[in-house]
Amino acid sequence: MKVKIGLETHVQLNSRSKMFCGCRNPVNLDMEPEPNTMTCPTCLGLPGSKPRTNESIVEKALKVAVALNCKINNEFFFSRKTYFYPDMNKNFQITQYEVPLGIDGHVNILVEGKQKRIRIRRIHMEEDPAKIVHVGGLGGKHTLIDYNRAGIPLIEVVTDPDFESSGESRIFLQKLIMILEYLGVYDSASRAVVKSDANISLSGGKRIEVKNITGAKEIEQALNYEMVRQGNIIKRGGKIEQATRMWNPDLRVTQELRTKETEEDYGYIFEPDLTKIEVTKKDIREAKSEIPELPDEKYRRFIRQYGVSQKVAESLISELDIANLFENIAKRISPKVAGSWISGYLKKTLNWNGLTFRQSGLKPEWILKTLKLFESGKLTDRNAELLIRKMVEHRKEPGAIIKKYKLEKTGDEREVKRIVKGVLDKNKKVIDDYHKGEEKALHYLVGLCMRETRGRVDAQQLRKLILEMIK
Amino acid sequence: MTVREFIEYTNKGSIDLDDFYGKYNESLEEASRKFRLFITLAEGTKEAAKSSKGKLRGLPVSVKDNICTKGLQTTAGSRILEGYIPPFDATVITRLREEGAVIAGKTAMDEFGFGSFSQYCAFGVPRNPLDPERVCGGSSGGSAGIIAAVNLPQIALGQSTGGSISAPASFCGVAGLTPTYGRVSRYGLIDFGNSLDKIGPMGKTVEDVAICLSVISGQDPLDQITVGKSEDFTKYLDDSVKGLKIGVPKEYFSDGVDPKIRKMVWNSITLLEENGAKYSEISLPATDKGIATYYLIATPEASTNLAKFCGMRYGASEPVEGAYNEYFSHVRNRYFGPEAKRRIILGTFARMAGYRDQYYLKAMKVRTIMIEEFRKAFRKYDVLLTPTMPYAAPKFSEIEKMTPLQQYMADMLTVVPNVAGIPMLSVPCGNIDGMPVGLHILGDYMQESRILQVGYAFEQMREKK
Repeated sequence: MKVKIGLETHVQLNSRSKMFCGCRNPVNLDMEPEPNTMTCPTCLGLPGSKPRTNESIVEKALKVAVALNCKINNEFFFSRKTYFYPDMNKNFQITQYEVPLGIDGHVNILVEGKQKRIRIRRIHMEEDPAKIVHVGGLGGKHTLIDYNRAGIPLIEVVTDPDFESSGESRIFLQKLIMILEYLGVYDSASRAVVKSDANISLSGGKRIEVKNITGAKEIEQALNYEMVRQGNIIKRGGKIEQATRMWNPDLRVTQELRTKETEEDYGYIFEPDLTKIEVTKKDIREAKSEIPELPDEKYRRFIRQYGVSQKVAESLISELDIANLFENIAKRISPKVAGSWISGYLKKTLNWNGLTFRQSGLKPEWILKTLKLFESGKLTDRNAELLIRKMVEHRKEPGAIIKKYKLEKTGDEREVKRIVKGVLDKNKKVIDDYHKGEEKALHYLVGLCMRETRGRVDAQQLRKLILEMIK
Repeated sequence: MTVREFIEYTNKGSIDLDDFYGKYNESLEEASRKFRLFITLAEGTKEAAKSSKGKLRGLPVSVKDNICTKGLQTTAGSRILEGYIPPFDATVITRLREEGAVIAGKTAMDEFGFGSFSQYCAFGVPRNPLDPERVCGGSSGGSAGIIAAVNLPQIALGQSTGGSISAPASFCGVAGLTPTYGRVSRYGLIDFGNSLDKIGPMGKTVEDVAICLSVISGQDPLDQITVGKSEDFTKYLDDSVKGLKIGVPKEYFSDGVDPKIRKMVWNSITLLEENGAKYSEISLPATDKGIATYYLIATPEASTNLAKFCGMRYGASEPVEGAYNEYFSHVRNRYFGPEAKRRIILGTFARMAGYRDQYYLKAMKVRTIMIEEFRKAFRKYDVLLTPTMPYAAPKFSEIEKMTPLQQYMADMLTVVPNVAGIPMLSVPCGNIDGMPVGLHILGDYMQESRILQVGYAFEQMREKK
């Protein structure tokens, strides 16, 4: 069954202040602030208060529109979108309607080794409403509202229905997030949220909108669930009617919000308290000049400049800090060693701990030292891995950890011989097995010696030594 | 004693503020009681005056009740905001207080400014001090009324969306200035139609008004649409009109305007001519689209502004029952007055999908035509002169018989300049059966200095006559 998916993705930008007032943007603070402490008359919508445009946010949004290859409107304005909802202090949201910031852009994604172009229909700016907390769930007795969120700047990126699978949607979202991080307008390590609404239709069915999908991981789960659900209805001879559903991340299901016969009418008018914003050719030139090397270019350059494989390059660019780390280290040691260790064991360890490089507290010079020791033969494979793991665990520099766990390769051959001899003396039967032709027995002996030497000796070296000693 | 003299004396210390406020407060309370001009009277004005400093030291200012005053109830004339005490001052209030002015009270107005007569008032309908059988005009009725009622140095703040300063100024026989849109900060003004709202001064004389404008005008970082520097507008006030080029738009002298008023305004033009001004009749063809255009811009904006008053964060609250939409409807139905409901419905309709293009968006286009007509006229003329209102203050018994549309037509002469956002000044130019008539002086964008000067000169000529 063919599927068509389009995404509307809201991203909380990492500006210092909110969109239309001087309040701090709480997504950037280290600690989640107490509810309703980051507010003022404007973001509370007090009678008589007025919004004012935070220009630095417009500049950030402009960079995004340029980076996503959009046509930039040379003049745009804000509108009021009216609907009644308890999280809306004014019962209208300041957003963009007729003339958004940018239109007709595109992003290329890599699907099974092939480039696919996803069209961006529009990008606009808007304010986040307040946050609703249902105490005791939806059936609870009361609801709390936190206006700290009211007025956090959002950009909404709307794609055409170009995705043909849930996986493509995920790849797109990962790519989008990567681009935003490269641009420095969004920080996945902060509390800023990326939320998507997905429009999904199976061939023969009406369009279903699924709201409230957070991040790249949930998008695939939510869409998979929805495709199976709709597929089952069609298989049973049912019909898919147009509806809006909500993704429930706790239950991992979509739930019906409303079936709608007609499009909702938000009664848009121009936001009369805000002046029009003009974007000159110079503004666009400046925005372009401030755009750093984006993931696609970096990917190609890493392959070209450092000779790393496509797979390694793809892994390195996925996190800007990792890409920068690699480049920093690749200038001092073999780029291939740097590439394979950083994209390999380091990323694996960070993922395992659920950390980004920045969050891990690791310093680039620690990684450099580790890989230099490895490259010069002073650390074995096994102990280089162990060192990385322990550095993440203890947040300490490599010297201290090497000392604590005695990880440095030993150069004392007499001592190694003594250890190996001790192992061989206790395992006469295994030696017999080897002589009877069981190759596995040798692996076993190498493993035992590795354990006894705590990985401070190469496996190859031990193997050679054992073979000499049991001849 | 004029406002200028009062400030001079208070700064010299030759006015006993104890005495003055004793007398002033008594007059205010009496006028308020007799004519219902206030929603809230401030307390402690005497003490505030005595400790004040600045260019308006000790001067009492009455403020329209849709302008937020910290710690002092601000209802915008609506039951739904009864008891609302703002936590901040509007920028105009901050500026007045910084210069030593004293907020005397909050004046009666049509609910949210919705009216031409100050008849849709939740807390008592103000009566015209010159004849209590007649209306004050709206929606800044209380502000104009108090200037007319109390003959002591004072000023008042009004606010205009479609003529709400000029109409009551005309009906009560006082001076009222509606500044260029953006000249005076709207921060702290409870919105009616944000692309139209202007706060402006009202006073006994043009000089009083100019003194107040000098303090409240000028760019404000809290209101993005504000323009211009603050300056001393009294320095422009001289009594010569020699070489002044006056345009007289014929559409403003149509059959809908009382013939006696037309004649009186023509007499005023003749008086100016005798003193050296020159006039030509001109045409502003878009004028007859004024009422429709104004309502199709103002009410869509108003309907979104009033959305916040739903009993959630703002507006009267009630025990919550049922779904939130039912609760919101219940609160809004109970606490909004009839004209507010009418305008919410009208405004919501005009911006609905399917109607938006032919009403709201069309009106926005007509607005640019009106702006262009004025721009063209002001390339040739310094000011345009028209009657302010088509009739003198009507009796309550007369307005009761009017349909809403007939009531809306009262603004036929004020809406177009308001829609265009140009500055205008209404000054008294005569009386019909004891009721005052206003002369409307329209100026080009940011040309307050010019219309104040012409208004001042006109006052001097009338006095001499």
